[in-house]
Amino acid sequence: MNYDCLIVGAGLSGLVCGIRCASEGLRTVIISGGMNALHFSSGSIDLMGYDPSGKVIQSPCRYLKQLEEKKPGHPYSKVGVKTVRESMEFFKKQCGLAGLDLHDNGEENHFHITGLGTMKPSYFSQKSVFNDRLKEAYERKDPIAVLNFDGFRDYFTALTLEQIRGLPLLRGVRITTGKITLPYYFRTERNLHEFRSIDLARVFDSEKYLPRIADEIKKAAGGARIVGLPAFIGIDNFGWIHRRLEDMTGLLIYEVPTLPPSILGMRIDRALKTRFADLGGELSAGDKVFGGEIIDGMLDHVHTENYGSTRHRSRFYVFSTGSFFSGGIRSEFNKIEEPILKLRMSGSQERSKWYSESFFDKKGHPFLSYGVDTGKTLNPYGADGKTVKNLFCVGSILAGYDPIREGSGGGVAISTGYYAAGKIISARKKADLA
Amino acid sequence: MRTIETDVIIIGGGATGAGTVRDLSLRGIRAVLVEKDDIAFGTTGRNHGLLHSGARYAVNDLESARECISENRILKKIAAHCIEDTGGLFVTLPEDERTYHDRLLEGCRQAGIKAEEISAREAFSIEPNLNRSIIRAIKVPDGTIDPFRLAASNVLDAVEHGALILTHTRVTGVIVEGTRVAGITCEKDPGELINIRGRLVINAAGVWGQHICSLAGIELTMYPSKGSMVIIDYRINGVVVNRCRKPSDGDIIVPGDTVSLIGTTSKKIDYDKIEYLNVDDDEIEVLLRDGEKLIPNLSRTRVLRAYCGVRPLVDTPGKQAGGRSISRGIVLIDHEERDGLEGLLTIAGGKLMTYRLMAEMASDMTCLKLGIKAECSTHKQPLPGSETKISPKKHIRAFTGIPESVVGSTLYRHGQRVRNILKKDKKNYRIICECEMVTEGEVEYALKNLNVKDIVDLRRRTRIGMGPCQGELCAYRAAGLFKELGPGNQSVKSSQLLRDFLEERWKGIKPVLWGDSLREAEFTYWIYQGLFGLGDIDFTKRHGPDEGGDR
Ligand SMILES: Cc1cc2nc3c(=O)[nH]c(=O)nc-3n(C[C@H](O)[C@H](O)[C@H](O)COP(=O)(O)OP(=O)(O)OC[C@H]3O[C@@H](n4cnc5c(N)ncnc54)[C@H](O)[C@@H]3O)c2cc1C
Ligand SMILES: Cc1cc2nc3c(=O)[nH]c(=O)nc-3n(C[C@H](O)[C@H](O)[C@H](O)COP(=O)(O)OP(=O)(O)OC[C@H]3O[C@@H](n4cnc5c(N)ncnc54)[C@H](O)[C@@H]3O)c2cc1C
Repeated sequence: MNYDCLIVGAGLSGLVCGIRCASEGLRTVIISGGMNALHFSSGSIDLMGYDPSGKVIQSPCRYLKQLEEKKPGHPYSKVGVKTVRESMEFFKKQCGLAGLDLHDNGEENHFHITGLGTMKPSYFSQKSVFNDRLKEAYERKDPIAVLNFDGFRDYFTALTLEQIRGLPLLRGVRITTGKITLPYYFRTERNLHEFRSIDLARVFDSEKYLPRIADEIKKAAGGARIVGLPAFIGIDNFGWIHRRLEDMTGLLIYEVPTLPPSILGMRIDRALKTRFADLGGELSAGDKVFGGEIIDGMLDHVHTENYGSTRHRSRFYVFSTGSFFSGGIRSEFNKIEEPILKLRMSGSQERSKWYSESFFDKKGHPFLSYGVDTGKTLNPYGADGKTVKNLFCVGSILAGYDPIREGSGGGVAISTGYYAAGKIISARKKADLA
Repeated sequence: MRTIETDVIIIGGGATGAGTVRDLSLRGIRAVLVEKDDIAFGTTGRNHGLLHSGARYAVNDLESARECISENRILKKIAAHCIEDTGGLFVTLPEDERTYHDRLLEGCRQAGIKAEEISAREAFSIEPNLNRSIIRAIKVPDGTIDPFRLAASNVLDAVEHGALILTHTRVTGVIVEGTRVAGITCEKDPGELINIRGRLVINAAGVWGQHICSLAGIELTMYPSKGSMVIIDYRINGVVVNRCRKPSDGDIIVPGDTVSLIGTTSKKIDYDKIEYLNVDDDEIEVLLRDGEKLIPNLSRTRVLRAYCGVRPLVDTPGKQAGGRSISRGIVLIDHEERDGLEGLLTIAGGKLMTYRLMAEMASDMTCLKLGIKAECSTHKQPLPGSETKISPKKHIRAFTGIPESVVGSTLYRHGQRVRNILKKDKKNYRIICECEMVTEGEVEYALKNLNVKDIVDLRRRTRIGMGPCQGELCAYRAAGLFKELGPGNQSVKSSQLLRDFLEERWKGIKPVLWGDSLREAEFTYWIYQGLFGLGDIDFTKRHGPDEGGDR
């Protein structure tokens, strides 16, 4: 089978790229190995949260303009602010089409509350995490109740409370904590107290239990107007369930991301995969690309673990295989490399340079900005140093930015994936015309 | 300032100090132990945990070999729940000097260590992962010992017999009145000063003993020697594997709980560097390279952590003719005799597994000095947790309903005390740390009974965060439980305890940051910095007491 576009890795960047390609009618396939980073993420999309001194950025797009001059090697500078903006709109629209509504703050960052009670700037949040009504309620200083299921291991209201009281935004607000009992009426052989977020999300997905849960929430909330719940209001049916719960309780309910697995992230994952499939994209899950051959500056074919010597061919290829965490790049005793084609890397080969002395060093860790080196059009260089013209690298496999320090992981994945798709689409169109 | 009166003051909460405070308490003598950090914070928590048979010393140091085998037998009885009677092997590789094998056998015979020559085939059946090219092998009664559990149960017994334990309390001065030591001054963590007066002070501060002596105005010279070790991700060997050659770097692999560790190196260091030790890259290379010669699978296994400790070797001038001699054996110093300073003893040197003997020696001399007639009983009296022989089957039956693996690990760590920990309540036995099967009940027990001040202490009592993931998820959970169940009105925020714990884990991860360790580190950093913003919290700001709270 010959494809227009073969994408390796179905994470945020690969999926966005695939959706855009498929929406333009390109024959697109994504081959992907394991779980992507969305399953572990906050489920909010960060574009640019902090400047190099650690100060919160209000207006990311304005900041990216300056970045274009100051850091031309940054992925955002390579794709350009205009494309970044476009890609974010595209992403929001695609999620919406799959039933996942995102809140944006009119090109400004907003804040969501974390499981430790700190605030994180973000560009898009799911409507159950942040929305205009919540914003107004915070501003009115409505009392807040932070609730948890009694005995849920992966979220502790006491830790939230410790921190949240010190937040300037919530000064003068009455904040209480409370417990709702685990859904003991939910029959299970397993220890309820060992339930992970995903098990509880399934309980929520079934409407049967909603009245009881709503009752408990109302009781535990006391006089509060706003209620914070760990994020597991369903994986499939979340939008509806969130609205139902608010109606039944008469309260504003917001979700807080917990320890992984991240229900909020999984919703995005599902939404994107649904879109991709609806547009006719082909997903080959559970297979891994382990090698390929570059001939005359063009990637000719790749091999996968499930199909051994079979050559998978496509006009264009995209590597969206992630960072160290997902296996897009890997390290050995004194070596970092891109495992599939040994593409040229940017980053030190000397291990002592990879990390900072303290874990929470303000400067972060150098290894986080290591990755594959590319030219302005996101084409990488082969082991021989020559550009691979029909291959693009997108998302966290890329070098030149620190997703955590900058708060830019989601935005870089979306904008680079979108950009590469654009390049492929226009090249394809040109070829068709010719 | 608070003043405490007692009979005997022990400085240092390593195995030696913990053993001594227990020994004295069992003899009915009032005692206070002062530790600047946590129990087993020093060298006691930074070694291989080898329960020597004595064979490693049989060629060069018969006295140590004899001490080892005799203590080996005692500890297997009194500290059964801290020990795994794995057995051990000495193996000769083709490149090793052949005669060492025979000299080792002869030394063992003289020291009374049951060492048995076996064929290479037999060795492989005992240890299937062993290098196939070994030419000779000897079986010895080596075992492993968990230093954290050992020190903690000594302290627990002492407390149950009336002793007072002050952890996170640093000795800042020794009170000298005329030619007599009358007590110490110390400082508890947040600037609280305490005076402790007693009739005798025992310096069991390990390598820091030099500093304690200087506080008393006398001189004691230590020769700190650093040893590094690496931990690999799963238990690659069932028995202790020693290389049969003159002791040198990378010649031993010790299994322990769910992991194995390769030891060790030996580097002289300056005394003023002992607080700032790092594992060097060349040490890691040597350990992995030579470890690989004993067990070839090793390089394919993930390296979890690297850490190092300092051997407390004491300079004992005059002990041997012809100038200075550094003793590897036990050193008990009566400073009245040596320096004309009454009321101060130093007990140092030795090994982890000779801690009981060292404690007995120090306690005997204490009795002599104080004119008390009381016999040592620590060689007969089992430690809390080891009271009776443990029958896992019986316990698993007694706790039906609770997963066997949970009962097993709890039993393994706390022996008989499992009865104080496990309850048939689902919340109680839910798992908090998946890698090490630590339950909420165990955490609660430790928080309430084992003198735990922070999550790092909690790790030493329960092994929380010590497995392959190095505290990825359980660190957050532990911080939450600390807030819910820990000592009330904490002056330190739980989120700060969480940060300190992750920083402590980082120390041991840094030197081995490649491959899967790097992956896990990226993940942990994403969670705690990316998701939670833990590093952005400013802990220097004072915070008001929690208002409101649970209803
Ligand atoms: C634990 C964690 C938490 C994060 N949290 C956030 C957050 O809260 N907010 C934020 O903005 N960013 C977050 N990020 C950053 C994240 O990297 C980006 O936001 C984005 O999700 C990355 O998408 P990606 O497509 O580049 O890669 P990934 O999501 O990592 O996806 C790569 C995919 O490729 C697959 N793959 C790898 N190699 C192969 C191969 N050879 N063959 C086939 N498939 C392969 C992997 O299995 C994986 O499914 C987080 C990252 C991590 C690691
Ligand atoms: C690399 C290495 C490997 C080893 N392997 C083994 C082995 O396999 N088997 C074995 O049996 N032995 C082994 N040993 C030896 C063994 O670890 C030590 O002999 C033993 O742990 C020493 O215990 P200790 O209580 O005397 O000293 P420590 O454990 O060092 O205790 C001293 C304590 O005093 C405290 N302290 C210091 N200053 C002050 C102060 N001012 N105020 C209050 N408290 C203070 C410290 O914090 C410390 O906790 C090894 C040693 C090393 C270095």
